[in-house]
This record gives sequence, structure tokens and C-alpha cells, in this order.
Amino acid sequence: MLLYLTKLALVPAVAWFDVSKLPVLISAVIAVVIVLYTTYSRKSRERFKIREIAGLKAIEEAIGRATEMALPVLYTPGWGGDIQRPTTIASLNILSHIAEKTAQYNCHLLFPTHDPVIMSVAQEVVRESYARAGFIDRFKEDDIRYVTSSQFGYAAAVEGLITRLKPASIFLLGTFEAESLILAETGNIAGAIQIAGTDSTIQLSFFIVACDYTLIGEELFAASGYLSGDRSIMASIRAQDILKIIIIIFMVTAVLWASFAPSADWWVFR
Amino acid sequence: MTRKIPQIICALFGMTLFLLYFSQHPTARNLNLTILNDYFQIIFAFTLLVGVVSFVKVNLKAFERGEDRSYHLVSVIGVFIMPLLAIIWGIKGDSPFMWVFENIQVPMQATVFALLAFFVASASFRGFRARSVQATILLAAALIMLLSRSTIGDMIADQIPQIADWIRNYPSMAARRAILIGIGLGSLTTSLRVMVGIERTWLGGDK
Amino acid sequence: MKKLESRHYVFLGLFVVILLTMLLNVRLEIRVSPETQKMYNYIDSLPEGSVLMVSFDHEASAVPEIKPLALSILRHAFKKGHKLIGVSLLAEGTGIGYRLMQETAGEYNKVYGRDLVYLGFKPQYIAAILSMGESIPETFPEDYLGRPYTQFPLLDSVKNYDNVAGVISIADGSLTTHWIEYAHARYHVPVTAAVAAVMMTTYDPYISSGQLHAMVGGLRGAAEYEKLLKIGGSGRRGMLAQTSAHLYVIAMIIAGNIVYFLRRNKRVKS
Repeated sequence: MLLYLTKLALVPAVAWFDVSKLPVLISAVIAVVIVLYTTYSRKSRERFKIREIAGLKAIEEAIGRATEMALPVLYTPGWGGDIQRPTTIASLNILSHIAEKTAQYNCHLLFPTHDPVIMSVAQEVVRESYARAGFIDRFKEDDIRYVTSSQFGYAAAVEGLITRLKPASIFLLGTFEAESLILAETGNIAGAIQIAGTDSTIQLSFFIVACDYTLIGEELFAASGYLSGDRSIMASIRAQDILKIIIIIFMVTAVLWASFAPSADWWVFR
Repeated sequence: MTRKIPQIICALFGMTLFLLYFSQHPTARNLNLTILNDYFQIIFAFTLLVGVVSFVKVNLKAFERGEDRSYHLVSVIGVFIMPLLAIIWGIKGDSPFMWVFENIQVPMQATVFALLAFFVASASFRGFRARSVQATILLAAALIMLLSRSTIGDMIADQIPQIADWIRNYPSMAARRAILIGIGLGSLTTSLRVMVGIERTWLGGDK
Repeated sequence: MKKLESRHYVFLGLFVVILLTMLLNVRLEIRVSPETQKMYNYIDSLPEGSVLMVSFDHEASAVPEIKPLALSILRHAFKKGHKLIGVSLLAEGTGIGYRLMQETAGEYNKVYGRDLVYLGFKPQYIAAILSMGESIPETFPEDYLGRPYTQFPLLDSVKNYDNVAGVISIADGSLTTHWIEYAHARYHVPVTAAVAAVMMTTYDPYISSGQLHAMVGGLRGAAEYEKLLKIGGSGRRGMLAQTSAHLYVIAMIIAGNIVYFLRRNKRVKS
């Protein structure tokens, strides 16, 4: 009887929770608590500033240039992402800001993408931005278009648009793969001012060579708060710094520990 | 209200998938499978339809307006021809669909991919200049990497591949790891902002 | 006719160099790198009859680089008597993967259904990878040719990743990352990769941390693998062209610097 009760009490508990994933749960809970605390705490939201990001500061200049030259602005989120990817969400946040500006300046905004879902969401984002700017009549749904899901089909389509329409400003913000250099070099040849940003570390080097401004990794995620000035979004960026400090402390501790006790491996998650 | 419902669905699915990660219980695994295998695939099928409709609409409108007619015509023909071939003869083995795929699509895409080599050459010509000490270090690292990935590196000195491996495994990897950690944390905060509804741009805005 | 710019001459020079060296058809001697050796040792050391999942995670564009890599891996696996389950997470890789598996199976007299099965394509790669971790037959109720999963003796005992010795992702982009982050991290299946050269550094951190067990990359990786297998192939054939192209790029970098210093000296003097 006792054995049966023990089984009843223990087995379902073990089965419902996979104990081997406890370190992940602890790390996740710590991260979530820190993010939520910094976001909602009033103290955290006060006296908080993000350092200047050159690429984001140059957005106004890039759109102004396109308006003066009466040429379009081209914005594309890359082939590597889908709507589930936080990078795509971050990119759409920047798109929202850029669309508001292009609406105000009556500048033609083109948004080719490889993903139908991104296309639908981007249409909503841009429509809303044009409405916010008070120029909904300037919004053209077809400017936010799906080209193809194929990587180099997408690269060829965007490259063709750049070559034919010669946009004055190009924004390459999102997840890019091997198409990055093709697009960036074509934009460079077309003489466009180019602002790029990606979470693909390998493509960053190509963007740095071929573009005027490059947002490196997390700068792309900080852009939403930077551009909108929303206090709660900016405060959540502070959480990233706190988590970074925790990771650094953990890494330094583990390195020192390993130096003095080479056989120890308590920090290894399996 | 129109914004509230998607927000609730997003938070609910986000939380559910997060919790399911920690469970091996058969019920949890079944629920996980249903969400991943059924819901996601159904949504994908519908989104493809949205993409195709938009693609055809955009190209037909541009054709009507007379802008770059030849490009738009080829695009629309391609969209209809490929499914037609697939429906009539199937997509397996030596079907006409596979013939078009292997003899038209593969070479065309490989050509666009091959453009990378040309752009790498022109970007190297323009970009790798010894303007400063840092730029010179970058230049030297690039030369060693290029030599190591060809057979000439082995011929010049055994040390070249070793130095290249060292560059990849230490300075380059350290920098990339730092960037990756930053990206990971950025992804985490963005995801949480979306789940708790602070970030609403993906819904079109604040209203 | 438009006047040619310096980049046009750079492009033309590269084209001529590659064309000439391809025509020469000379085989260069190469050194096998430790990472290719590790990949070879991994497949070599698995017990005969081990079930491996080979995922064709690439597009049509990368075929010239990916095909020699894929052929070497498949030949090695069949030669060692392993059983292969083929899948594809990108639509364009599906037909190519099927052809490559059929071609190599024929070389080693392997029987479809007993030694290999090709399950084909599943959209939404993250969902597909996670879904196979729960149940492969429910993710792929039929094989590529539409025959039921239950019909094949090879698949009798294959329910999920627990029954697979490892996953080999043949990729031209970042899809291998998803295998590492979802299949390995969550279901602990060993993941190895054969990738395009441009993606190799992306995976270095995963190799170093052990999350990616082994990796072979690029045309050079294919040439090294062919050397280990003591067979000829397009990897070794292409090495002269690749070496010449690399030397050409080095020459361009040197030329670019000479031009830069000459112009700078001229500016200083004037």
C-alpha cells in the first residue's frame, strides 16, 4: 500500500516535470523575473538612457535623401527569418518608425519579402504608420509584396528592384544569409545610402564592408525602444545589461574554478 | 478588442509551449505534437495561399500598367506552369516538373549564388585597405584565411592552416560568442515584451 | 555602350581565372583538416547498421558546392553499412536529396525500405524538427513516394530521435542551428553537419561547445573527405579553381592597397 501511494505521489510528478531540465527552468525564471521587474518597476523606468546608435540616428538622413532625390526607399528583412523570430519582430518595429517618416515626407516605400506572413504583418504595420502620420491615402498595399520563398529567387528579385528603381536609401534589417552581400553590393553599386543590421554573425562582416551603417546584433533589438522612446520598452533593455552582468560573473567564476580544480564541471549543462 | 484577442492567443501559446518544454509526460508530448504538427502546418498552408494571391495580383497590376512587362509576364507564367506540371505529371522521378526544376531553376539559382564570388572579389578590392593598425590586422587575418582554405596554404607552410585555425577558434569565436549572447538576450526580452503585450507593433500598432 | 568601371574588370578577371582553371582539370594534393577527420571518424566508428537521419537542408542554388559533400557523406555511410533515413526541411532540397540517396544507394547495392528510406519534405522547419522528436511516423505518415511509413522494415523500430544514432544536416544556410538548438538541446540526439564554406564559422562556437559533434565544410571539405575515402570526385576536381580564385582575391586585395597608398601619397604631396 505504502509502495503504491509512493508511486502515485512520485511517478506523475517526475513524468510531468523533466528534472534534467531544472537548470534551464531556473535560468529562465531568473531571466523572466529580471525582465518583468525592470519593465514594470517605476524606479527602473526613470533616469534611463540608451547610448546613441549611429545607424538609427542616420534613418532620418536616409529618408530625407530619398525625398530630396525623389527616389524610393527600399526596406527588406532578409531571407533567413520568419514571423516567429524575435529579429523579425524587431525589424518590423523599425519598419513602423520608417514608414511613419516616409508617409510624412511623401516618399515611396518598397518592402519586398520572402514570407507571406511577414508580408501580411508588414502591410498592417505600414498601414497603421501611415494612418498615425495622417496620410493613409498615401499607403499602397502592393508596395509591401511577397516575391518568392526561394533564397536566391528572393535575392534576384530584390537585386532587380534595386537595379531598376535605384532607391536612394536601402534598409537591410533582419535575418540575412548568403544573399546579404549580393544585396549590399548591388545597393552600393546603385549608390544608395545603406543601413543594415542582422543577428547573423557571419553576415555582419559583409554588411560592415558594403554598407554605410551596421547595427550589430542586439542593437537591432534595442531599436524599438530607441526609436519610439517608450519607457517600458527602454526599461526592458536594461534587463539585458543586468543579465549580461550575471552571465559575466558566472563565466569568470567558472573559469577561475576550472583553473584551480580542472576536474570540476558543475557549470556544464547536459 | 481586435488587438486584445491576438495578444491573448500569443501569450497563451507562448506560455503553453514554454511549459511543455519542461515536461516528458505523454499528455504534454501529445499536445506539443498537435500544436507543432497540425496547427503550424495548417497555418503554413493558408499563408502560402496569401503569398501566391498577392504575388499574382502585384504582377498582373504592374503588367497592366506597362512597367517592365517581360519580367512580370515570366513571373506569372512561372507561378501557373509549375503547379500545372505537378498536378498533371506529379513531382517525382523523371517528371516534367523535375526536368524544369533541375534544368532551369537549379542553374538559374546557382548563377545568382555564384554572383557572390564576384561580389566578394569587388568588396575585397574596395574594403580591405590598410588604413589603420586594426584594419591591417583584419587584412592580415583575411589573407591567412584565404590561403588556408586553398591548397596553396599547405604548400607555402604547415603553419598557415594552424594559424587560420587559431584565428577561427580564438579571437573570431570569442567575438562571435559575445555577439551571440547579446542576440540571445535581445531575443529573450523582445519575446517577453511580445508575450506580455508591451510590444504591439507586430499587430500593426497600439490601438 | 556604357563605360566599364573597375569592378567590371575585377569581375571579368575572376571569370577568366575560374574558367581556365576548370578547363585544366588538374588535381592538387591537399592536407586533411582535423575537423574533416573528426567527421570521418564519427561515421566510421558507429556500429554497422546504425540508423542515421540525413537532412537535406539546402536550396537548389548551393548544389555545386553541396553535392560533392553530400555524395562523400552518403558513400561513407553506405560503405560502412549504416541505414539512412532521408528528410528535407527546405522544399528545393527534397528532389535533390532523393536523387543523391538513390544514386549512392545504387552504387552500394542498397535496398530501398531495408537500407534507406526517403521521407521527403516537411514545411515549417522548427516545428518539423520538434515534431519528429515526439513522433517521426506522425510527422511523416508516408515516404516521399507516398507509401505508408509502416510498410518499411527499416522504420519498424524508429519512433523518434531515441531510435536514431545521429542527425547529419547537409545545409547551405543556418538550418543546422535549428537542429542543434531543438533536436540536440531538447532531445539529445547527436548532430553533425556538412555545410557550405561560407557558413562554417557560424558553427564554430557550437563545435567548440560540443553541441555540434562534427562538421565538414565547403569544396575543400569535400575534397578532403574524398581523399579519406580514396575516391575521386568533384570536390578534388574543383580545388584548383577554388585555389586560383582565392589567389585572385588576394591579388585584388594587394592591388586595392597599392591604389589606396598611391592615391594617399598623391594627396599628401598636393
